Amino acid sequence: MTTDLASADAMPAHTTPAATRALFFVRDYAVLILLVILLVVLAMASPSFFTFANLMNIANQNVPLAMIAAAGTFVIVSGNFDLSTGAMFAVGSVSAAAIADGTGNPWLGLLAAPVICVALGLVNGVAVTTLRVHSFLATLATSLVFSAIAVMVTGGSLITVTVDGFTDLGRLRVGGVFIAVIVLATFVAVLWFTLQRTLFGRHVFAVGGNADAAELSGIRVAKVRICVFMLSGLAAGLAAAIAVSRISSGQPQAGLGMELEAIAAIILGGTSIYGGVGAVWRSISGVYLIALIGNGFDIMSVNPQLKDLVTGVIILAAVALAAVGNRRR
Amino acid sequence: MNRRVLAIRTSAVVAISAVALTSCSEAGGGSDSDGGYRVAVLAASSQNGYNQAVYQGVEEAVAETGADVDLQLLDGQFDANTQLSQLQNTTTSGDYDGVIVVPNDGPGLAAAFPLAQEIPVVTVLNPIGPDIEEMEPQVEGVVSTVAVPPSEAAAKQAEGVAEYCADKDPCKAVLLVGQLNAPLDVARRDAYQGVLEQHDNVEIVATVEGNYDRDQSLTAITNVLQANRDIDAILSNADQQTSGAQVALQNAGIEPSSIYLTGGGGTKDAVTAVREGTWKADYINFPVSMGKAAFEQLHNALTGEDVESWVDADAVGDVEPYATKETLDEAPDFGGEWNG
Repeated sequence: MTTDLASADAMPAHTTPAATRALFFVRDYAVLILLVILLVVLAMASPSFFTFANLMNIANQNVPLAMIAAAGTFVIVSGNFDLSTGAMFAVGSVSAAAIADGTGNPWLGLLAAPVICVALGLVNGVAVTTLRVHSFLATLATSLVFSAIAVMVTGGSLITVTVDGFTDLGRLRVGGVFIAVIVLATFVAVLWFTLQRTLFGRHVFAVGGNADAAELSGIRVAKVRICVFMLSGLAAGLAAAIAVSRISSGQPQAGLGMELEAIAAIILGGTSIYGGVGAVWRSISGVYLIALIGNGFDIMSVNPQLKDLVTGVIILAAVALAAVGNRRR
Repeated sequence: MNRRVLAIRTSAVVAISAVALTSCSEAGGGSDSDGGYRVAVLAASSQNGYNQAVYQGVEEAVAETGADVDLQLLDGQFDANTQLSQLQNTTTSGDYDGVIVVPNDGPGLAAAFPLAQEIPVVTVLNPIGPDIEEMEPQVEGVVSTVAVPPSEAAAKQAEGVAEYCADKDPCKAVLLVGQLNAPLDVARRDAYQGVLEQHDNVEIVATVEGNYDRDQSLTAITNVLQANRDIDAILSNADQQTSGAQVALQNAGIEPSSIYLTGGGGTKDAVTAVREGTWKADYINFPVSMGKAAFEQLHNALTGEDVESWVDADAVGDVEPYATKETLDEAPDFGGEWNG
């Protein structure tokens, strides 16, 4: 059973130990290397970049995507895909807004988002395991259903929330740190511990590495799969609660394309798209690598039409760094 | 059941189905059997508040004219190819007498012309054809355009910024534009720059994309404020983006009303924000009234009456489209025609 990349391969015999270690390091930590290079470049390019306020903003702005990517790591490590996270995010957003607006209770609305999305995650898990449909197809189908639910809740319009306290989760700070960032840090820490240090985490790796072997080993594969989809739903719901609180409005188009952004960040981080290998910190690094590019463009007033070009080049560079390490082994 | 019997039965079912489908298609062409009209409304997206408001206007106009009209709403899903197919299908099938369309991609939609059947098409919000600034019909089949040249509207928005900046030197402005891969928004950005660059005291410190999204606009303006906390104006082409910018200002401890904050669209939230003084101005659209005007022109075309080839969308509403608190005070009952 493999977990993170570093443990996957034996040291090659034809290179010196130091060179081999360097190659392994480049391969395993390509995303971190790029992240550090980008941080240094941006810090030198703009005096506004390397400030507490700006770094906190970057952290805060990407909390929803980071949450979805962190939980998505479990899904991909288990050998599955969840293409419905964006749609669950939309359902969570409009549900939170509608309930808060209807009841006047902000926390009831915000709590409803993760609860509802966990239920949607359960639907995904049951669909994948009982229907024995590939998760790619099953969650593609459920994403359409969930998107339609989000539209039906709102009638296609926006729900603006003016209830006192509704924006606290998304906008308030404690000691200069956004509450949303604290929630993310806690969530990521729990997920990291769960994936790397618990029996359930080892089961997730086992199911993703070889589901048949895992089944024969006594692991309840279906149960593991259902759990990872529920976890993905929980993350989408929490992300929705934070996002809807931040902008104090729920809209059915929210989360559009978010599922692909999350998967891109997970894979960019180095988690294997084939399952069985990955780590939560990798996905978080992937999210923030892409986020730094956007932030750099905005604070340096660079033509935004170049943003996609630069983002693509940097993603290619990260992938190339990892590939070079793999080829030289 | 042996194979021969199965083959005969299958052939019979296929033949009967083909005959039935053919007769359906022959019976369907054009007007209802009772003499009314069938009109297809091609929304850019049927799940979008603006498009829903246009459709509401069409429905209201149908009711007001008392015409016998069967409306069919088609969802373009914000996809240019989907809408192109829909336009081709509606004009090929012979099931419709006229089409009202809110184009996702006006230049791209021109590929559907000339139409398979000569039925009138009225376009709302954007023209159909290669020139996004030309309001007169550019392709045969479009009988009327209910819209405003985007650069003209954007230039007027920018003039509001220039006026506000008249006594400030330097006056730092941020352009918050929808999508800079879309010709319409690039034209708006160019118009903003064209006006503001004529004023030496106005400095455009950043141009960022809002993607018609609150959260993305919040992120973009938050980032801009890191390097330019002393901005004087945010010029946005969409209210959703301005709402996001407003939150970014509040998060940064800047009172939104202390700068020139403006948007475009005329949502109910935007009208409220301008009335309260939180935003200095808003470029108001009237999608319900535009939908009404579109049906009126289509009905004229269907009944042989005179058709206005261009209906100025700024003139169909009840208030001054370039709204400020002062102009809205003159229309206390106006609350905006849509929200989104």
